[in-house]
Amino acid sequence: MQSDDVARTVAAQIGERFLGLEPFPRTAGRLRFRSEAALPLFHTVKEQLGFHHLSMVGGIDWVTHREVFYVVWSDDRRQYLLLSADLPAAAPHIESAASVWPAANWHERETWELVDIQFDHHPDLRHLLLPDGYEAHPLLRSFQLHEPEELEVKQRSV
Amino acid sequence: MSAPPAPPMPRTAGSAAEAYRLEGELPMVEQPAVPFVEIETVRAREFIPAAKEAFGALIAEQGQAKLIRPTFNWAGRNSLFPLHWGLACCAIEFASAFSARWDSERFGIVPRSSPRQCDLMIVNGTVTWKVAHKLITLYEQMPEPKWVIAMGNCATGGGPFRTAYSVVPGVDKLVPVDVYIAGCPPRPEAMIDGILRLEELIRERRE
Ligand code: SF4
Repeated sequence: MQSDDVARTVAAQIGERFLGLEPFPRTAGRLRFRSEAALPLFHTVKEQLGFHHLSMVGGIDWVTHREVFYVVWSDDRRQYLLLSADLPAAAPHIESAASVWPAANWHERETWELVDIQFDHHPDLRHLLLPDGYEAHPLLRSFQLHEPEELEVKQRSV
Repeated sequence: MSAPPAPPMPRTAGSAAEAYRLEGELPMVEQPAVPFVEIETVRAREFIPAAKEAFGALIAEQGQAKLIRPTFNWAGRNSLFPLHWGLACCAIEFASAFSARWDSERFGIVPRSSPRQCDLMIVNGTVTWKVAHKLITLYEQMPEPKWVIAMGNCATGGGPFRTAYSVVPGVDKLVPVDVYIAGCPPRPEAMIDGILRLEELIRERRE
């Protein structure tokens, strides 16, 4: 019942860039959208539908494409809603949600460094969990675990 | 069939002694009179010159190297102050080693919260590359002489995360390590044993 209202409101706002609302267990559903519509969708979901709390942002490497997803929560509905967009595997990028939900800031930094999804207009896209200057993106399927290279063992001088 | 062991007799405090005394079997021992000693309060400004004088005489007699170094060494190895911090799950065992049950304070091991008051760094957990330079900073802030114990498999060689993308494969790649303690996590007994071995090591190495 409530999910109809979500689909209707979103479709009215972003038109055919809204790709459908699939049922997802114990949530209001999984809303799929085209990545160009990210910012208007975020504003609609927060301001018109009342999903004011961003619970998490994540990314998945499906080899053929990347998926970025957002989990948002509404106190009035007492429900989660999943927003998900497919991005091309070459140069995946999407508008940052940090201007709508400030909580997105660190989550997007983590998604960027682990799954290599570029967030446009992010206020501060730096490494969060990995050391500065780390070049690989470890949660990509192409990433290989390796034996650690031989490092010099420190000897004490006294 | 053997009979089950008899239950222990209920014991009342002092009952046996009272019984003896009543029957007059326990001879009363004359306690030697303990002389009453008046202890003067020594103020620091009086104590320090006195100690200087006493040490000066000893040093003149024995030579400085023979006296100072073993004295400091003895005091230092019996009051190892580890840095109070935690990196991963091993920190739970590290914390319980200071609890009432294992009570490592009886060995003079008291965790301190500032690296400037410590002479022992116990690396208790997984060291990631992100935290590596902070670890080195803490190590460099500790005054000499200082020692490092790698506690657990992670600090020793990376442990279960050896091939992971963000873990230092052993803290000996960052700072010199004196004692390695195996285990995932090591029990507090193992940790205390490691510190006692470090004390032996200090005695051998620095005397
Ligand atoms: S050695 Fe085991 S218990 Fe200790 S930090 Fe590593 S994984 Fe945790």
